[in-house]
Amino acid sequence: MAHARLTAAERGDRRFAVLASAPAVLTIAALFIYPLLYAVLLSLYQLNDKMPKATKYVGLGNYAQLLSDPDFTDALVRTLVFCLFTVLGGVAIAVGIAVLLQPAFRGRNLARVLLLVPWAVPPVVNGIMWKLVFDGSYGVANAVLRELGIIDHPIQWLADPTLTMGVLIMSEIWKLTPFLALMTIASMQAIPSNIYRAAEIDGAGPWSRFWRVTLPNLRGTIMFLLIVQSMWSIKVFDTIYVLTGGSGGPAKATTTLNFQAYLTTFSYLDRGYGAAQSISIMVIVIVVTLLWVLILGRKGKAAS
Amino acid sequence: MSSVTATRASEVGAPEHVADRSSRRNPRRRAAATVVHRAVVVLLMLYLTVPFAWMLVYSLYPGQNMRGQHMDFTPGDLTLGSYARLLSDSTFTVPIRNSLIVAAATTVLCMALGSLCAYVFARFRFRGQRVLLLSMMAVQAIPAIVLAVPLFVLLRAFGLYDSLVGMVLTYTAFILPLVIWMMVSFFESIPVNLEKAARVDGCTRLGIVRRVVLPLSGPGFAATAIFAFITAWSDFFLAKVLTSNSSPMLSVRTASFQGIFAMDYTAAATAGVITALPVLILALVAQKWIVQGITEGAVKG
Repeated sequence: MAHARLTAAERGDRRFAVLASAPAVLTIAALFIYPLLYAVLLSLYQLNDKMPKATKYVGLGNYAQLLSDPDFTDALVRTLVFCLFTVLGGVAIAVGIAVLLQPAFRGRNLARVLLLVPWAVPPVVNGIMWKLVFDGSYGVANAVLRELGIIDHPIQWLADPTLTMGVLIMSEIWKLTPFLALMTIASMQAIPSNIYRAAEIDGAGPWSRFWRVTLPNLRGTIMFLLIVQSMWSIKVFDTIYVLTGGSGGPAKATTTLNFQAYLTTFSYLDRGYGAAQSISIMVIVIVVTLLWVLILGRKGKAAS
Repeated sequence: MSSVTATRASEVGAPEHVADRSSRRNPRRRAAATVVHRAVVVLLMLYLTVPFAWMLVYSLYPGQNMRGQHMDFTPGDLTLGSYARLLSDSTFTVPIRNSLIVAAATTVLCMALGSLCAYVFARFRFRGQRVLLLSMMAVQAIPAIVLAVPLFVLLRAFGLYDSLVGMVLTYTAFILPLVIWMMVSFFESIPVNLEKAARVDGCTRLGIVRRVVLPLSGPGFAATAIFAFITAWSDFFLAKVLTSNSSPMLSVRTASFQGIFAMDYTAAATAGVITALPVLILALVAQKWIVQGITEGAVKG
């Protein structure tokens, strides 16, 4: 189509293609490329809105500061812990749910539809919801545990650093995992059923069918889920904000990287350093994505 | 008991992957496996719904019933008082209106710009196409926090900070890449031959998109539109950073019900239900399309 002389229709098509795609492409470019370049530039400056006069170019100084800043390195560790549970745990649970809802039974469709409930609940509401469950004095968790005689005194779930992180992990898994399960179910349906029949004839039990047939066929999907969930987990913000009253506490226990960058930029008004932190988060997202692709990307062909 | 479950299991039909070989020989073990399976499914369904249901219950009782260690669920105490209070409070109803307008406008804009662009990606071959399409995915890697300050500066320069138009533009840019990505896969699954017939009949490209392609991608289109609406409606971070008093958004208002120490739990629960209910209903009403949309996307790649 590209070479030879263009007919009137082809010229018309070309004009259509440009005009039809330009508005979307330009909107995305304007609101991504310019701000991204701006952020990169900002990260090279010492720029604190509390001290506007001290603004100066510091090159990579902000990035050098990151490594020796305990606020940042601690947040990095917290993010790692949070991701370990929500990404590996979340994807494992998602696959588990998908397997659970794979066989035909009455109520299967209802169960699958209910997977949409957590997905549709806005993150802010998710935070409120779990606060109603785990609040030390008003939460239902303590009331239930007390009724069952398991505890005498209410547990201050959201005042204990470790427990708060646990609640945060749980609430994120509740919100995001069911949707991953839906995607897993969808790609499970694409596995030809005669592979299962063949495996059954070969004497494979349900376990070995899962490990030898289901899982290898889901490799691409699982890679996708790990990438998506990693992006979500590294960027977690709303739930932390609501669960901890905008503090990232107690004692910074839930201040992950994204929240730390938020505090630096919008509470300490340290725009330049905040930009450096944000850009680092972006780099981490990209590195993690590439890592998953490296680990799981190629082998798919060798396995099947 | 076991005979009842056994008949149930047989009437439901062979669970394809639950029963293993030994249990197929042994109907009793197979029945037991079925019972365990159903029990886990019921637990899963409770897990998915109870947290929200609890918030709903919480919002329907006066605060004093839910305070302390002894919760009082007397049915006579059920009240919509908290809803009446919030829905007559303009600091809450204005954000509802704002979020509705912004989410609806974002959806329309995303679907209009997105499906045209996706059609071009699906039907034309041009240099840099793959790179462009992949960069639509790549922008997903950019956390909103990176763009927050620059967007703030950019919007303020155009007088769009803290305005509904500013929010619509921001959300459109954020949601468009995914809309395009999803629509491309739906469009590619439509046979080109159908379009050829329309072209022979003298239909323009725009006419083809409107009369042939969009109607054929109906479920995918609906699922994508709902996805766009829910994303725009639910966003908290960008709304928090890019709006203030003149264009308050619902998610920010709802989040403000919690403080570090004092929190009106009944009001928070009520606000939570009001914020979640529209999108929850939307998702459940359109569940068929959403599930179908996910399935088609998964089968394709």
